[in-house]
Amino acid sequence: MILIGELSLWVALLMAAWATTAGFAGAFTERQELIASARRALYAMCGFVIMAAAGLWTALLTSDFSFRFVASETSRNLPSVYKFTAFWGGQDGSLLFWALILSCYTAIAVRTGRKSNRELMPFVVPTLSAIALFFLLTICFGANPYSRLDFIPLDGRGLNPQLQNPGMALHPPNLYLGYIATAIPFAYAVGALITRRLDNEWLTSVRRWVLVSWLFNTVGIILGMWWAYVELGWGGYWAWDPVENASFLPWLINTAFLHSIMVQEKRGMLKKWNVTLVVSAFLAAILGTFITRSGVISSVHAFAQSSVGYWFLGFLLLSIAVTAALVSTRLRDLKATAELESMVSREASFLFNNLLLVGIAFSVLWGTLFPILSEAVRGTKITVGPPFFNQVNVPLGLLLLLLTGIGPLIAWRRASTANLKRQFTGPVVAGVVALALLLALGMRDVYALIAYTLGAFVLMTILQEFRKGVEARHRMYGEGRAVALLHLVARNRRRYGGYIVHVGIVVLFAAFAGLAFKEEFDVSLKGGEQYAAVDPYGHQWRFVSQGVSRYDELNRHTTAVLLEAFRDGKRMGVIKTEKRQYVDSRGVPSFEPSTEVGIMSGLRQDVYVVLAGVSGEDTAEMRITFNPLVWWVWYGGMIMALGGLIVMWPQAERRRRQAGYEAVLEPAGTSAT
Amino acid sequence: MHVTRRGFLQLVSGGSASLALTAALGAQQANTGAANVPMDEARYLPVRLPPRSSQPSMTNLQRDALEHRIHCQCGCNLDVFTCRTTDFSCQVSPAMHKDVMALVAGGYDAQDIINAFTKVYGPRVLMEPPRRGFNLAGYFTPFVVLLAGIALVVVLIRRWHRPVEMDAGVRQLPVDASPDELERLQRLVRHDDS
Repeated sequence: MILIGELSLWVALLMAAWATTAGFAGAFTERQELIASARRALYAMCGFVIMAAAGLWTALLTSDFSFRFVASETSRNLPSVYKFTAFWGGQDGSLLFWALILSCYTAIAVRTGRKSNRELMPFVVPTLSAIALFFLLTICFGANPYSRLDFIPLDGRGLNPQLQNPGMALHPPNLYLGYIATAIPFAYAVGALITRRLDNEWLTSVRRWVLVSWLFNTVGIILGMWWAYVELGWGGYWAWDPVENASFLPWLINTAFLHSIMVQEKRGMLKKWNVTLVVSAFLAAILGTFITRSGVISSVHAFAQSSVGYWFLGFLLLSIAVTAALVSTRLRDLKATAELESMVSREASFLFNNLLLVGIAFSVLWGTLFPILSEAVRGTKITVGPPFFNQVNVPLGLLLLLLTGIGPLIAWRRASTANLKRQFTGPVVAGVVALALLLALGMRDVYALIAYTLGAFVLMTILQEFRKGVEARHRMYGEGRAVALLHLVARNRRRYGGYIVHVGIVVLFAAFAGLAFKEEFDVSLKGGEQYAAVDPYGHQWRFVSQGVSRYDELNRHTTAVLLEAFRDGKRMGVIKTEKRQYVDSRGVPSFEPSTEVGIMSGLRQDVYVVLAGVSGEDTAEMRITFNPLVWWVWYGGMIMALGGLIVMWPQAERRRRQAGYEAVLEPAGTSAT
Repeated sequence: MHVTRRGFLQLVSGGSASLALTAALGAQQANTGAANVPMDEARYLPVRLPPRSSQPSMTNLQRDALEHRIHCQCGCNLDVFTCRTTDFSCQVSPAMHKDVMALVAGGYDAQDIINAFTKVYGPRVLMEPPRRGFNLAGYFTPFVVLLAGIALVVVLIRRWHRPVEMDAGVRQLPVDASPDELERLQRLVRHDDS
């Protein structure tokens, strides 16, 4: 199987090359046999990449250390589940994983879109093949996971301990699924630009794939935050690290697109903007990959420095040049068919929402690259850390939160004063009441106050929309309110799924604002000693050390500390934090010691304990942190994913019409509701 | 237990094989610590000043807050406080912490300490670039770009929103609907917000 896999990789490369060449030749000369041949080659490429991946998995699971990748990422005593996930734990395997997902996506996109997008598909196939060709070339000649060692070591080096975590088993695949899905809309955009078929039709297919990308990207980012929080031990979940930022860029751009596409569908506007967003999301994904793999910027999440970065830089520049040329020569075809009538309209609010999302994307990119720029311009090395990103992005994020409430409630074309008054009285009152309540409770942090006030405002706008819809169904069809709610969401998944996503956003903002109240303590405790601290809610905590214990587990030596925790005198439980020294099958340390955080989780706050080390015989050096509202991040992520799933779920055309996409006028004399 | 790289490699593959493995896996053999980036312990530079007073200039909590503003130089992207309380395999952040403690004990205030570190390491030792000179471009460019974008949108909206003059040759057709029906149609259009 391994040999077949190795050969399959090269055959897949040939298939991709043929699909690209024959595809473009067939599309430009309109020769159907070449177009069909390219399509079949693309399917074949997918099959061969699957076999190549299966071969590598076999090598990993059977510990075939004749392969450099297997020897460097696994060891005999590594649990099988992590041998499986080691596939994406290193540079070479993760690139093959990219190619695997891309090939599968490509085959699905071509299969599902061949009838609905007959005119575009001849160009979509070779564009996707060209992207796959690039990846396969990079794998075969730059980072081949099948490259062999000159000898066969007795054991491998093992997987980085930080990657031996369930979060890392799930986070990269989700992120890759999100990143790589941007390739499909990109290919459609290239096809639409080449054929000048820039009407709304191609957007239907594109929107579905952007949603796929957005959903996986959301889940991937949240899982990455969770992994960083429970595994890295620095006490937070987002550090504005370059690689984190790189994953955030396509998400921001996709989010902007999912809003602006509504304006194009509804009013035939923003065509240039939408094409630019589709293309930018893909370019941002490639840029992110370049940052992660080039070593150009040091990062917690980056792969080892390698020459692969130059491949990605070249591909990025080529993609920018090709798409810029295509867009600039098609500007006339991208002219809007309608005009914006008022600043106080949903179109305008979506425009500003897009501006903010893209503005945040720009500021994130700017902050990430500014150290390089500074060094190039002034020759001075600087650090752009979280304080910088927070100063720039928190105000922009709060403005975005405000628009999250305004956008969905404001009328299309032009909102009247009566419309504004009717829609916003309740939400404004909710916001003011929340602000007054928080001030009365003694909250003084300005950003947190704004975030919670806006959160209350947005939540009320969403509740109001649900209430209106449920009441209308209750009156019209006599449904119970719970049933009416279910039917309401089911009949217009796009709209109400979107609202659920907005609820997730509000919950996330509430969690982020909670960080303003984080408290941390640097603690040294011997067995039997205790430490007292006050949490952000004013509760008295006492931590009693149960001492340091040392023991061996499957593939590691563990040093652990148990802390008995009391809140206001009541025993809350025991928190265990560990320092692990991973070893290979002969007991030889394979990595630097790693930290296992002890977390006592609750809805209001986490008590987060990190064992930094042990000094002397049994003095544990620890950091104890009270992290308010961290669980809200995970809940917010889940709500967003749920909303995204609802939006994505296919809806029959008949139901979509019933849900209000096509208004049916009643004969004169009957009452309108 | 600390094992040198040489020792580790000798144990893993033994003899000549270890040399080959060193070359093959070289990129991943660096001391990476908790932050998963190569740590360069030679990056530590002493920051010392003669004591100014015998009274410490701040409390431990204030000192911890100050350490959040200083960038650990081991290559981890963390501040000194977070790095030293996360990962004992880093030798740089504890050394920098000792310098901070000595300066605090010597009576230097937060700004003096920041200045002393900046003098030794350069501005890269700060978690955010100082707000002066070229760095101002870093802080303000995103807002300038955003404002330019807003201005552009406003201009575009105004340009789009020109009153459409009716062609002189086109006559407005009479509408066969009562005022109530017209109002209802307008309401439907306004509420058509799916």
